[in-house]
Amino acid sequence: MIRLSRTLRFAAALSVTALAAAACSGGGREKTDDTDTAGGNAAGSTGYTIAFITHETPGDTFWDKVKNGAQQAAKDTGVTIKYSNDPEAPKQAVLIQNAVDSKVNGIATTLVTPDALAGSVKAATDAGIPVVGFNSGIDDYQRLGALMYFGSDETLAGTAAGKRIAEAGGKHPLCVIQQTGSVALEARCKGVLSSAPGTENIQVNGADDAAVTSTLQAKLAQDKTIDYIVTLGAPQAIDALKAIEQAGSSAKVVTFDLNQEAAQDIKDGKIVFSIDQQPYVQGYMAVTSLYLNIKNGNDIGGGKAVLTGPSFVDKDNIDKIIPFTKNNTR
Amino acid sequence: MTSTIEAPAPAAGRVKLGLSNRLLARPEIGALVAAVIIFIFFLSLAPSFRSAESFFTVLYQSSVIGIVACGVGLLMIGGEFDLSAGVIVYTAGLFNSMFCWYFGVNLWIGAFLSLAFCLLIGFLNGYLVMRTGIPSFLITLGTFFVLQGANLGVTKLVTKTVSSLDVSNIDGYDSLGKVFSSSFKVGSVTVWTSVIWWILFVALATWALQRTRVGNWIFAVGGNPDSARAVGVPVLRTKIGLFMTVSFLGWFVGMHQLYRFNTLQAGGGVGNEFLYIIAAVVGGTLLTGGFGNSIGVAIGAFIFGMTSLGIIYAGWDPNWFKAFLGVMLLLAVLVNLYVKRMSTMRKVG
Amino acid sequence: MTDTLASHADQGLHRGEPLIEMEEVGKSYGAIRALRGINLRVNAGEVTCVLGDNGAGKSTLIKIMSGLHPHNEGTLRVDGKPETFSSPREALGHGIATVYQDLAVVSLMEVWRNFFLGSELTAGKFPLAGLKVRQMREIADTELRKMGIVVKDINQPIGTLSGGQRQCVAIARAVYFGARVLILDEPTAALGVKQSGVVLKYVAAARAAGLGVVFITHNPHHAYMVGDHFVILKLGETTLDKTRKEVSLDELTTQMAGGDELAELSHELGRK
Repeated sequence: MIRLSRTLRFAAALSVTALAAAACSGGGREKTDDTDTAGGNAAGSTGYTIAFITHETPGDTFWDKVKNGAQQAAKDTGVTIKYSNDPEAPKQAVLIQNAVDSKVNGIATTLVTPDALAGSVKAATDAGIPVVGFNSGIDDYQRLGALMYFGSDETLAGTAAGKRIAEAGGKHPLCVIQQTGSVALEARCKGVLSSAPGTENIQVNGADDAAVTSTLQAKLAQDKTIDYIVTLGAPQAIDALKAIEQAGSSAKVVTFDLNQEAAQDIKDGKIVFSIDQQPYVQGYMAVTSLYLNIKNGNDIGGGKAVLTGPSFVDKDNIDKIIPFTKNNTR
Repeated sequence: MTSTIEAPAPAAGRVKLGLSNRLLARPEIGALVAAVIIFIFFLSLAPSFRSAESFFTVLYQSSVIGIVACGVGLLMIGGEFDLSAGVIVYTAGLFNSMFCWYFGVNLWIGAFLSLAFCLLIGFLNGYLVMRTGIPSFLITLGTFFVLQGANLGVTKLVTKTVSSLDVSNIDGYDSLGKVFSSSFKVGSVTVWTSVIWWILFVALATWALQRTRVGNWIFAVGGNPDSARAVGVPVLRTKIGLFMTVSFLGWFVGMHQLYRFNTLQAGGGVGNEFLYIIAAVVGGTLLTGGFGNSIGVAIGAFIFGMTSLGIIYAGWDPNWFKAFLGVMLLLAVLVNLYVKRMSTMRKVG
Repeated sequence: MTDTLASHADQGLHRGEPLIEMEEVGKSYGAIRALRGINLRVNAGEVTCVLGDNGAGKSTLIKIMSGLHPHNEGTLRVDGKPETFSSPREALGHGIATVYQDLAVVSLMEVWRNFFLGSELTAGKFPLAGLKVRQMREIADTELRKMGIVVKDINQPIGTLSGGQRQCVAIARAVYFGARVLILDEPTAALGVKQSGVVLKYVAAARAAGLGVVFITHNPHHAYMVGDHFVILKLGETTLDKTRKEVSLDELTTQMAGGDELAELSHELGRK
């Protein structure tokens, strides 16, 4: 215990140094006034409450953008949103039930596991609460009784990516799945496979960048014919670039979704293109459509799902998009 | 009354235990045999496994797990668990990157503050376990959740997203990168310094465990803490020191991750704590403490690296990896049980 | 004939000289009074036997003397000076070593590591200084051998030794590291007849070497074989305090078994 005091003194000395060195180092936060990323003028409150429920696993940048979109929509339309999430289907069903019990005006929910959520969604429609699906569940939303759907068709997005790869001469793409047992990710790779027949899948541990990198490096060493790596999330695209460099491979990288670093890599030509399903739009539209439905009885999509993607981001349009990635809206 | 005791007939000489018995009593022997078998197995089945490049990729993969596992192994020999060891790696990196980004200070300062912070967490883990008597499994499970939540929450507050921002433009990046995450070429082979660090840490831990007083204390506090206390071993200090060693090594790997990848996802590291424990157990560390060694733990991490990548080199479906890992773990536990029985049985009179 | 216990023991010990004196010592845990009014002397070269049933206060008495729990009534004098121990280390510093029945050794560790545990020989002061392994092995080996404990391999885990041998290693260790007072907590409780014999011989040897021995047991036969002075505790109080000359084994046994109460019980049960 006596040692402690020495440690304390050391820590104190350190913090003094830290203060002294502060404000003389570059590359950090830009010291301008923080402008609210989801800014804009708030409309007068309408008094509506909308439950916004997802299957988000905490720690995924994708959902930040969905939430940012939903929050902006709430501001623009003057509704209050109650956000909740749980990656496990039974718990997500309970969240929907909670929303019904608390008599919200509308429910926007992802429908990633349609059968597990069917009961709760029915309870909502029985109670006269309008339900809108987004992000996932494109094939099932109508059967469950949801009015509208905003999202991308994962298979379609994969097919579009595969098509572009095949057109560019890709023979043997590697599709990197970073989470086990995810239906949406498997669907993307299936889509890629349907239009680029040489596609092979690989499973990596998305929670550990070092593991992703060395796994991909090993795969590139094992199979030298791999000419494209398709990552299903932006952080894995960065890992893939590192692996390619290490393995001395000439494979090209294509990714789903965007983040700041990936956007920069697209600008620098390291990543060929990104397939963006525009999560911001998903969140924004889910809330806005509910608002319109409650307020004005509108129905969007003409009885069909509204697709928010795939939208391609490549060298040609990246300059326009980079500022939005900094705002965390794309 | 000068002489009251008569010694039994003096033994003619000490009987040396047979070689096989002495070998069996070594904790790493089971892991070593398994490692050799797995190595030969992949050598014969995976053509692309047979190159120096592949071998060093495997070593790299093993080192990232092995460095923290080295500390976790020591802690387990000392009779405790640390479930927060996986997340603290990312806590360390996130702390460093966000602190420096937010306050605009040199990365070295953030690195040292992050170290101080990690050591504090290790200290708290140890102090709470020792003072409350609650099993370390529960205390560190709590720390695990706290850190996991704080990683996400603080990152979100600071950067408005759930990953840290690029540190490559902040001062100190280059020199820190050299220390924690550099590589050099030997012919066509890339050697990461993390592998060298790993070997150094294992060597140091082996020395500490087998040849120093502290090592003796670690075995004692793990094998029988009450008895250790009774003969004057500072149990509290030893155990807290072990927890702090784990968080130091977690910090080290966190630095490596940060300076290799420049950004970190706030949700990372979850699940790795079990890999560390598996490496330690496969390497012959007894779950109940008091038995094991660092070389065994290193072999355990190497087995992990070899199988996780060997499956890829062989071109198999990596989905099977976890199943394979589970089988390894079960076998290791069975071997351990057998070894413990053998070594506590009365072999000789 | 070897008698090496004596050669290791503190040469400054004089038979009959008081090492520990307790005067009206008591201990309460909150509202519970575990021990009260204990008067006990531990003299050099004598075995003081403390007998008592479960819950009589024996373990509290050990804890006070070994430094695990300080007493809160009366005075405890070591070498004539009043002391209150706050840790086992402090008690050890005064040469008071305790050998617990079930936690004498760390069974997965080698014999020599156990022998030197807590008092290792190192090549320097800094934390990672090397142990003098060869020297420690040799000392442990020769010491144990001289003291008549035969272990086949000094490198074997101590768990492979018999219970009696483990107790003996623990006692030998305490003596080697300069214990002047040995507190033995039920050293024979878990042992068979032969093994108990081995341990009792060591108790006698320690006494012969001039150490003060506190022998805690609930077996009056074992106590009478080596004891010079007998104390029986019941419900935290002394019920008998006599020297060997003043008491017979029969009396000790009867007292220990419950004395008058037992006679009454026997009468009630009506079988003669």
